Amino acid sequence: MREIWAGLSPDLQDALIALALLAPGLAAGALVLRGLAPFGLVRAMLRRFAWVNLLFVLLIAVSVGLGVGLVAQERGLRQGSARAAEGFDLIVAAPGSEVTVMLAAVYLQPSDMALLTGAQYDEIATAEGVAFAAPIAFGDSVDGAPVVGTTPDFVTHLAGDLAEGSIFATEAEAVAGAFAPVGPGDSFTPAHGHGAAAEGEAHAGFSYTVTGRMAPTGSPWDRAVLVPAESVWSVHGLANGHAPGDDRIGPPYDPVYMPGTPAVLVRATELWGNYALKSRFTRSDMMAFFPGTVLAQLHGLMGEVRAAMSALATLTQVLVTLSVLIGLVILVRLIARSLAVLRALGAPVRFVFAVVWSYSAALILTGAAAGLVLGLGAARALAALITVRTDVLVTARLGWSELHLVAGFVSLTLILALLPAWAAIRRPVLADLRN
Amino acid sequence: MPPSAASEPAGSRTAPGPAAPDLLVEALQVRDGGGRVLLAIDRLTLRAGQSLAVQGPSGAGKSTLLHVLSGLIRPATGRVVWGGTDIAALSEPARAAFRRNRLGLIFQDYNLFEELPALGNAALAAAFAPARDRAALRDRAAGWLDRLGLGAAGGRTVASFSGGERQRIAVARALAADPPVILADEPTASLDRAAADALGADLARLARDGGRTLVAVTHDPALAGLLQRRLAIADGRVVEDSDA
Repeated sequence: MREIWAGLSPDLQDALIALALLAPGLAAGALVLRGLAPFGLVRAMLRRFAWVNLLFVLLIAVSVGLGVGLVAQERGLRQGSARAAEGFDLIVAAPGSEVTVMLAAVYLQPSDMALLTGAQYDEIATAEGVAFAAPIAFGDSVDGAPVVGTTPDFVTHLAGDLAEGSIFATEAEAVAGAFAPVGPGDSFTPAHGHGAAAEGEAHAGFSYTVTGRMAPTGSPWDRAVLVPAESVWSVHGLANGHAPGDDRIGPPYDPVYMPGTPAVLVRATELWGNYALKSRFTRSDMMAFFPGTVLAQLHGLMGEVRAAMSALATLTQVLVTLSVLIGLVILVRLIARSLAVLRALGAPVRFVFAVVWSYSAALILTGAAAGLVLGLGAARALAALITVRTDVLVTARLGWSELHLVAGFVSLTLILALLPAWAAIRRPVLADLRN
Repeated sequence: MPPSAASEPAGSRTAPGPAAPDLLVEALQVRDGGGRVLLAIDRLTLRAGQSLAVQGPSGAGKSTLLHVLSGLIRPATGRVVWGGTDIAALSEPARAAFRRNRLGLIFQDYNLFEELPALGNAALAAAFAPARDRAALRDRAAGWLDRLGLGAAGGRTVASFSGGERQRIAVARALAADPPVILADEPTASLDRAAADALGADLARLARDGGRTLVAVTHDPALAGLLQRRLAIADGRVVEDSDA
């Protein structure tokens, strides 16, 4: 049995789980409605108390939406942050905090970091199995977007072919990220520093001309402007990585004239080679790490937060389920006279039971469907906000987790809806007829 | 709308017949929760096809009698025998089935489903009838609406009808299952004089022409005058019976 299950595709497994979650509620419905057709009557009752019913549907929709939104958002954030780190195989930096280096190198969050020397960079770049080793150089910005110095190889590695234009070929050229505030043909003078503390005139007299634009990567690099590492060093009054008179752009750099770099973004010629390089450069004077591993550790830590959020979502669902149950019992009082008329006219108890259950089921199913839409909408809005704030492309879409949550909620409430139906058929007919 | 125009639609009973049961009420006592006697009748009989007006002051026990006759109240003691079936001895589901198949109920305040169309109300029983009977029930309900002057308005929701028209819809609902007995609780009390007279005439004619037994609780002397027999109740006891 386990082998059969394991042989199914993940989507099929998830679909079967969703069906299994729904099954108890659907089975209850099939038993209750067998041979009966109360729907016309239920529609009339729903119209009769349209506003109360609408309020009820909204209550269910908001609660379901909250659960769906939380789960979808959390997954979107996790996937977005992982996608942003995809282009970064191995990072080598001076010993310190891997998280700090990852935040700076992958997510372009400004921070003070120790530098690797030119000699250390040269050792990394010339090591066997290294396809490329790109230094990065921070410190400047334009219109709030970071200006990052690196190599042409890394630009191509990160974003593939440019969306338009050509890659930088001189110290005065730049390539804009997909959503950077400057574009091909623009010229700008970089400000020294970031944010409110940026000094706009610090590099007066020097300007870049944008020669191309990268395709979107879904990472904060989309808002950055990429320039030759040489120009960042030069503009800060340092040697530009090459011997005087050598105006090449990109590696190899001369260790004597290379001012140092906070991190080197390394790609091995073979995938397995990354592990050997990580091992080789993990030592007392430098550290090497996979950003994906650090991110997984962070996600692992966040897993507890996720568990807390899931618990909150579940608790909310339980509370709302109870509210729905109590609300349905109250709603039954609203329709008590109609039910009494049915019973006075000789309607079987089973039919009256089916009317009340169908009435409840209509509210639950409508609310749950609206909740799915609401949750997805809220998650998408929040994802857009996070993307704007962090430049990490967060996309929220419906996944099986949300569908399982909703299927479980629907099934449970459909079963609990048997209780108000049972309460309804216990009501005194004559007393309800007179009210 | 032409008042008093009702006659039997196709598929309904057309003459007095054995299907309309005799009623025998014997040694009946109905008590409230505190044990107080609300209604006590030693013996009451009704011939099949006979129409009876139950009269008396408010609180006399008229409606209680109607509820006992319909099986909505189970008496503390005694028998309520319709055509050989003592409904006082039946279980709740069996009494519901009896009402469904043998009785047509008409209420003072119509008790219609406001958001359903006239035909949906008249054919309400189709909602809980076996699937094989639903089409026939709907056809008969449409036929009764037609005979009662509302055939063209079957698709309108009842909220748009006058009181008299609503009560006609309720009459069509009571007759849709072609029951041999009609029990009506103050059927004309919510209507103006003209509508009350028209409905009373229709009820009397439907009972007479269809051979149905009709029991109507009423304060309306005009309606009572149209029925064959009058029963006066006071303080839970029969004080006058025009057949006696």
